[in-house]
Amino acid sequence: MKWLTTCKETTELASRAMDARLSFGERLALGMHLAICANCARFARQIKDMRTFLRMDATDDAGPHLTEDARRRIETELQNKLDH
Amino acid sequence: MEMRDARTWLDEHGDYLFRIARRQLHSDELAEDAVQDTLLAALTARERYAGDASPRTWLVGILKHKIVDIIRRRVREVELPRDDEDEEAVDALFRQNGHWAEPLRAWGNPQTEAELSQLRRILDDCADRLKPLMAQVFSLREAGGMETEEICKELGITPTNCWVLLHRARLFMRQCLELNGYSGAGA
Repeated sequence: MKWLTTCKETTELASRAMDARLSFGERLALGMHLAICANCARFARQIKDMRTFLRMDATDDAGPHLTEDARRRIETELQNKLDH
Repeated sequence: MEMRDARTWLDEHGDYLFRIARRQLHSDELAEDAVQDTLLAALTARERYAGDASPRTWLVGILKHKIVDIIRRRVREVELPRDDEDEEAVDALFRQNGHWAEPLRAWGNPQTEAELSQLRRILDDCADRLKPLMAQVFSLREAGGMETEEICKELGITPTNCWVLLHRARLFMRQCLELNGYSGAGA
């Protein structure tokens, strides 16, 4: 693992750090780059933000909802199941 | 527990389940299937429902399995995307020397419900535009919170491949958000 990573390589490390544990050298390289590069620091922050927003509760009434057709279809299926 | 209960589940939790499924399956039709499969399974399993969890929590637990079932079926059907196309798209974001081609704009935090739901809509639209396999890996990980090992196993891809797909998806997603005018409130 080299110590001086490019921005492209740093985005790979920042991304993988969200899914797995990086090696000591990788963590060091990532930390050093993020300390001096505003763009990569922003990237690292923004991919974390995206996760936060995507994992928020889905109780957003303005969000997509079942259509009347789908609702009726599901109701019919449930009824069929109960009849058997 | 009879039809009355099943109808209550549908009325009270149907839209909620649909939104969770829609975000991970990127298709209205598949998300409707997932809700239907979930309620049918709930009907079958209703004796086993001990009632110590809220019905919504119980239904969401069933839904998670149904989503994975649907994805497993679907992954066999989707064509594998051409890899070099994505690689070129990633390369275009950086200069030859590995530095960013364009500076990244800072994002603010959404302050109001309206801003938050606008952000969620853009996120969903952008994720829908990713290629099928990439969209699937990204949403299972980021929205569904599944571990990467689990995702690899379900989708039959290697961990390295999984990380490459996630890295690209994150690069494309943040670019898409920026292109769609998302900068957060007051930024």
